[in-house]
Amino acid sequence: MLSTILSVLAATDDGADAGKAIALGVGGGLGAVGAGVGIGIIFGKVIESVTRQPEMRDEITGIQWLGFALTEACFFYGLVAGLIAFFL
Amino acid sequence: MSRGRKIGLAIFGIYLLAITVVVIIFGFKRIDNEEFKPQNEFKLHTWIDLPGPLDINKGVMYVIIAGILATLSMVYIARRMQARPNRTQTAVETIYAFVRDDITGGSMDDKMARKWFPFLCTLFLFIWFSNLIGYIPLPTNSEETVNIAGLEVPAFAIYAATANISIPLVLALIVFVSYTVEGFRAKGVIGYFKSLVPEGVSGAGVVPLFILELVSNLMRLLSLSVRLFANILAGHLIILFMSGGLAVLLGLEALGVFLLPAGVALFLFELGLVATLQAFIFATLSAIYLGGAVAEHH
Repeated sequence: MLSTILSVLAATDDGADAGKAIALGVGGGLGAVGAGVGIGIIFGKVIESVTRQPEMRDEITGIQWLGFALTEACFFYGLVAGLIAFFL
Repeated sequence: MSRGRKIGLAIFGIYLLAITVVVIIFGFKRIDNEEFKPQNEFKLHTWIDLPGPLDINKGVMYVIIAGILATLSMVYIARRMQARPNRTQTAVETIYAFVRDDITGGSMDDKMARKWFPFLCTLFLFIWFSNLIGYIPLPTNSEETVNIAGLEVPAFAIYAATANISIPLVLALIVFVSYTVEGFRAKGVIGYFKSLVPEGVSGAGVVPLFILELVSNLMRLLSLSVRLFANILAGHLIILFMSGGLAVLLGLEALGVFLLPAGVALFLFELGLVATLQAFIFATLSAIYLGGAVAEHH
């Protein structure tokens, strides 16, 4: 399936443009999947731990944002790589 | 129906009406715009030509504004400290306590914290101010000029010094050199490299683990700088696309109206969360690296 798509793409004249579009799509679109799952896990665990131990809330909130930003950054690595492939 | 709900419904109605009117007036046909290049929004034109690599462009202007603003505002507030603080002083004291207790105090011992607090606080404030002024539209886009009474005025644009890889990279290099030197001073050069290998590893496992740790140490440079740069760049790009860029690119007027609320929401998200969060992350990770370089156990 994938090889058929790739061969069709290679046959067209603007194969390079299609490759760039794929790079942006994979970098931006598929990259968001992993970060989305990760952020979901972080916030789910935070809800779980705060309901279990509400007195730990302040401490957990700090770690939560640290984890959120670190996970979210992974999406941007993919997106920037896609943008570099698309525009440069 | 409550009043807030009525206002909400009215706004939604106006939104739908605006989309319909724009579709009726301009039609819904895609006309690709070849002239508009979104990447040019981030192009750095030389404004003042100086010898060597010292040219002034909009990135340099943003760095200088952020530096001056961060320094002057903090010095001004520090000079006017009162026993009974007003609102501004309370806010600054909250930031001060936050950096001292949460960022610095959490990841190193007291002696180190006293030594490195000024550096980390400066880092936090500079990145924070730099991110925040990046969301104020300023006439900096010299790629697209507007002709006002015969004068070529640059179009309004948002840009941040941290949306360019060079500023975060320099900050990350400073952090990297600081924690390496601090590790050398605490443990000696050989001792520092020895401490990179986790404890309890001996025999054949030492060499690959040492190489792995060394590479991950160098990768910190990349991850630290790219995290900040990519977050701010992607934020600016998404704001650009959502609030008009896509409509101009595809020639679909109705799409611009349709996406405008998303643009406003993303702008508020970036301004309220990402700008502060990235400054916090950069300072926290720097503190963790500094603390980890001198800690006895790896």
